[in-house]
Amino acid sequence: MKTLLLGMGNPILGDDAVGIRVTERLGRRLGPVPDLAVREECCTGGLELLEVVEGFDRLIVLDSIKTEGGRPGDWYRFDGTALRETMHLNNVHDANFATAMELGRQMGVHVPDDADIHVLAVEISENLTFSDRLSPEVQAALPDLIDEMHEEILTLLTRTAAIPRRHVL
Amino acid sequence: MSRKISIDPITRLEGHGKIEIFLDDSGAVEDCYFQIPELRGFERFVVGRPIEELPRLVTRICGVCPASHHMASAKAVDGCFGGEVAPLAVKLRRMYYNAHYIHSHIAHFYALAAPDFVLGPDADPAIRNVLGVVGKVGLEIGGAVIASRGKAQEIQRIIGGRSTQDIWCIPGGVAKGLRTEELEQIRPMVAELYDFTQFSLQLFRDVVLGNPTYLDIIANGPYTLDVHNMGLVDERNAVDFYDGQVRVVDFEGEEICRYEPHQYADYVAEHVEPWSYLKFPYLKQRGWNGFVEGIDTSIYCATPLARLNVADRMATPKAQEGFEEMFSTLGAHPSRMLLAQHWARLVEMVQNAETLQLYCDDPEITGDAFRVIPQQVTGEGFGIVEAMRGTLTHHYTCDENAICTSANLIVGTTNNNAPIQMVTRKVAETLIKPGTDPDQGILNMIEMAFRAFDPCYSCATHSLPGQMPLRVTVRRGGKVTHDFRRGC
Repeated sequence: MKTLLLGMGNPILGDDAVGIRVTERLGRRLGPVPDLAVREECCTGGLELLEVVEGFDRLIVLDSIKTEGGRPGDWYRFDGTALRETMHLNNVHDANFATAMELGRQMGVHVPDDADIHVLAVEISENLTFSDRLSPEVQAALPDLIDEMHEEILTLLTRTAAIPRRHVL
Repeated sequence: MSRKISIDPITRLEGHGKIEIFLDDSGAVEDCYFQIPELRGFERFVVGRPIEELPRLVTRICGVCPASHHMASAKAVDGCFGGEVAPLAVKLRRMYYNAHYIHSHIAHFYALAAPDFVLGPDADPAIRNVLGVVGKVGLEIGGAVIASRGKAQEIQRIIGGRSTQDIWCIPGGVAKGLRTEELEQIRPMVAELYDFTQFSLQLFRDVVLGNPTYLDIIANGPYTLDVHNMGLVDERNAVDFYDGQVRVVDFEGEEICRYEPHQYADYVAEHVEPWSYLKFPYLKQRGWNGFVEGIDTSIYCATPLARLNVADRMATPKAQEGFEEMFSTLGAHPSRMLLAQHWARLVEMVQNAETLQLYCDDPEITGDAFRVIPQQVTGEGFGIVEAMRGTLTHHYTCDENAICTSANLIVGTTNNNAPIQMVTRKVAETLIKPGTDPDQGILNMIEMAFRAFDPCYSCATHSLPGQMPLRVTVRRGGKVTHDFRRGC
């Protein structure tokens, strides 16, 4: 399966960059892998993502997330079906991720099935103040995050077909 | 130490926008506040960095209008080096920006505005999105939307080397010119984009103008404000997106002031409210008079409609036809009807497509004099462009080694902060009356108001799910009586 490993975030917005930082390191650790493309930095969203993921069978997104009561440095994994729950909600500027993917499918654009979109999201502390540094909590978690996500990605890459699930391991 | 969590995080996302509505004892709206998480500290972040880095850094401020920041920043940096720019570079920058405008306006119109009009403002929220639009108007149109957006983006890539996170503008010009073979790649795409702008205008005529209910919402709903208008104009008072003077016109059509970029601080000041991190710009010479409508207000809009309101004309013929049709239908120029923003975007798309055509036929456009090497550091620069969402101002200073010593930005949405607050309150007051029970419907009616401004608050933040969750809380007598959530 042609797979894209995508680091999402803003490189100068504190912890928002964690997806980029992890993808940079994982890309180096993974080395050349057949049918795997690595895009370390993607700072866009909505309909523009269609152009980024077009042509791939599987998408692995490394991103940040902020939840109520979440502990910075923890991480979550879910797939495109979880994002689909928010599909009918408008983004303030554009379509959201799931809507963009669904629109692409309806238009005949080759994008991964929801079950082949895997999101690995790191709980973060600060993403409203411009900085080129991660918060101490997220920085401290980085070595473990890389080890654990590396293992997770290797497992995902061994899968050959979509396994439809709702969400969450 | 990290920890993998096995619960569903989507149900408890943070970072949402908040609308707080306070009711009096009778159940009427007493107060209403719209609050959005705001990005902070960019001005501090860039101090101490080489000034020529700023046009590359500012593209990270906003994931939606990076090209606007890139252009405004480039102009401010040009100023820090004496202000001389290769004339060909100005043409190429304008050309790039024309393509970016089309790209952005297509996304806004079809993904955000069209659902309310094609499907109706009271349509089931489950289908009121771009997928619903495609379902109603046909897959073919959906394909055309994606293809046209893609062409506009490809034109940017060909001209500037990249389509996002631009690195192309450099002091005195641009880093690459346009080769003849690249121009020939662009030319057919420009023709197709022009056709698409005409198609979009016709769709608007058919779907919106052909429906008296929608026209009534635009003209007679709570979506009007008696505040002033701001936008860039050229020497003929025609709409200009890249350069010119900032013109401010009141809602009755009288010019209040006009200023050059370096004079912005004499004309615009920012008011602070204790309940918001975001400032509220106002016309400085009138002083802050509060969130009030009327001819004496100091509040202004800087939006697509405001740009057309301050201009006497469009810069190109087909766009001028659209301008005349629009204001004649609305009944006045300028117009106070905020939902006409969507129509104004379509007229602007036409001007951008026509301008692109003109540049494609410019025999000098493939020249190689696309940069003037700066010879001096003069230490201060101002850059103003029209971002899609409003007038965007960058002001920098640097030391003799061209190291940034200060930066001040007034972004498009900040200009509109006060009118957004005011229209949010106005819609709430209209919908929530004593004896009526607020429901989920108010969410979309309020959203229609601020969506017209296409507000751009924390758009550079990409933490999942890449959209703005929203919470509306209604309080009465200190107690929460209603709590509506969307995505949070």
